[in-house]
Amino acid sequence: MSTPTATGTRLANDALAARLTARFSGLASDEAYGELTVHADAATLVDLLTFCRDDDAVGCELLADLSGVHWPRGGHDIELQPTTTGWPTFRLSQEEGRVEVLYVLRSIRHGHVLRIAVAVDDEDPRLPTATGVYETANFHEREVYDFLGVEFDGHPDLTRILMPDDWVGHPHRKDYPLGGVDVPYKHDKHVPPPDERAIREVIR
Amino acid sequence: MSDTTLHGTEAAEAADRATSADDPTLAALRAGLEGESELFVEGADWESVADAVRDETLIVNMGPQHPSTHGVLRLVLELDGETVTNLTPIIGYLHTGIEKSAEYRNWVQGTTFFTRMDYLSPLFNELAYCLGVERLLGVEAPPRAQAVRVILTEFNRIASHLVWLATGGMELGSTTVMTYGFREREHILDLFESQSGLRMNHAYIRPGGLANEVTDDFVARAEALLRRLPEKIGEFEDLLTENPIWNDRLRGVGVIDVERALALGVTGPLLRAAGLGHDLRRTDPYCGIEQYDFDVPTDTAGDSYARYTVRIEEMRQSMRIIRQALDTLPSGPVMVADRRIAMPSQQQLGADGMGNDPAYIRHIMGESMEALINHFKLSTEGFTVPAGQVYSAVESPRGELGYAITSIGSNKPWRVHVREPSFVNLQAAREMTRGHQVADVIAVVASIDPVMGGVDR
Repeated sequence: MSTPTATGTRLANDALAARLTARFSGLASDEAYGELTVHADAATLVDLLTFCRDDDAVGCELLADLSGVHWPRGGHDIELQPTTTGWPTFRLSQEEGRVEVLYVLRSIRHGHVLRIAVAVDDEDPRLPTATGVYETANFHEREVYDFLGVEFDGHPDLTRILMPDDWVGHPHRKDYPLGGVDVPYKHDKHVPPPDERAIREVIR
Repeated sequence: MSDTTLHGTEAAEAADRATSADDPTLAALRAGLEGESELFVEGADWESVADAVRDETLIVNMGPQHPSTHGVLRLVLELDGETVTNLTPIIGYLHTGIEKSAEYRNWVQGTTFFTRMDYLSPLFNELAYCLGVERLLGVEAPPRAQAVRVILTEFNRIASHLVWLATGGMELGSTTVMTYGFREREHILDLFESQSGLRMNHAYIRPGGLANEVTDDFVARAEALLRRLPEKIGEFEDLLTENPIWNDRLRGVGVIDVERALALGVTGPLLRAAGLGHDLRRTDPYCGIEQYDFDVPTDTAGDSYARYTVRIEEMRQSMRIIRQALDTLPSGPVMVADRRIAMPSQQQLGADGMGNDPAYIRHIMGESMEALINHFKLSTEGFTVPAGQVYSAVESPRGELGYAITSIGSNKPWRVHVREPSFVNLQAAREMTRGHQVADVIAVVASIDPVMGGVDR
């Protein structure tokens, strides 16, 4: 990888998408709010990331961000508003729950940004690691594992990063119980957590 | 394999007996160390530990309460003698679940949470979040609000770098720098307090503009600061630039080159000190910052000293930006006109000591029932934001601060993920300290400038 300079050419979103689909056929992409999102699957993810890093025209030296969003099974009341465009269908009605992992790539020499979205089943979320392509993915993947339970195959040290090591569950999932941690009170009084309490139940 | 474990008093007793060569405990200990064994020592004299360990790898916990680890950072050091062979940052001690909490509050309340993440650059957190929400809403803050945002965030950059200088100086033994740094920062916080009411965690930048119009003396206060700061920053340079201790401790320590920095996701002053002049204010300008003239300082050494010179120069460049922004400060509102988003932002101090907007109150209470209903809805459930995903990033004092915001069209965010520069930059600590001495770990961590509120979120 050559040392980047600020002399590259910024590709427009459609040119960027064309460049990627020319190499990876059948790659879906959408553009919303001026941002390009490319929808990859787990099998092509590492190849796609490697291509984005090594290709001269795409040239993304920096994995700017790696995060996850949980879309549980069932219907979501997504209020469709006029500005909502390019919204993939699986987000509207869901047969299966998904965890969507988002890779934001930034090209410093060209100046463009693109997002790669990979949706995995939320029952057993599993993705290949990106640490072989971008080393910075190490902490990010540990965070996504910690909060959403996505297992990254091949990660050098996939342990919890922000939550305690013995924590049960993945707090950023939408099915994670809110207030589900028992609070110990004096004299062994048992107060159930808020989501297990009946409405207006008074505990004395 | 034999496990030999020594605890506090036992270790001390072993040390007392260490002089006698035929001591059975120490003999057993040494015999154990010939094979693969672990020695666990707490609270013993260093000399006795070193004597027992001899040339084995020593694992030492630094932190989480170590005063020079910037809060609650725990570093596990693997030492070969005095040389660091590996460093593992253990984080999460300050995790507060801000991202999760924000999913259960409305969009405006989000600023109150995110401003508390990186507590040394609260305005940048607010700005990045609000720019993202504004992109989803399809609105743009009025020019006056944009200019005030630039002025305040650049002052915040100076304040943050001053704290870096103060704490970094203190960690390297220069308490004078500590008092000077915090002293100047106080004056900047005074400005923030006069505008937002709070010295930190302001929640002053809101989706659509600012929480309130700036005060009448805002420009005068800012100019007084601009007159004061250059001389004071010169004082830091007089104290440190040629200082032999400062040079010896920082030069050649914690070197990272551009290629490794990019692979590890390192941005901000660390990347610029390595030689790449990447600055989001240049490549992805926000709030009209492209209309101001400023330089992006770089260095080529990539060591801790280069980070010092880059940060000092950044403070000067921030003042240049503020100077121009003050000269061209536009008049007009500081909040978008759309009443479905805008809370009243032209408040005045009333006779009762409370801030209110008399014209707005007259309108909703006396003139329009619909306006009252709107105000009620806005204050209780908040506004809705169109569904979609955005990633909005600003150049915070520590690097690229990005907000990945997902909305499903309701009055609350579905998910907000924060790309924290402290969190990402901390990964590079392992590489930057390898082969250095234990004392250099302090210098390297100080030069990374991690803020644990941002790392742990």
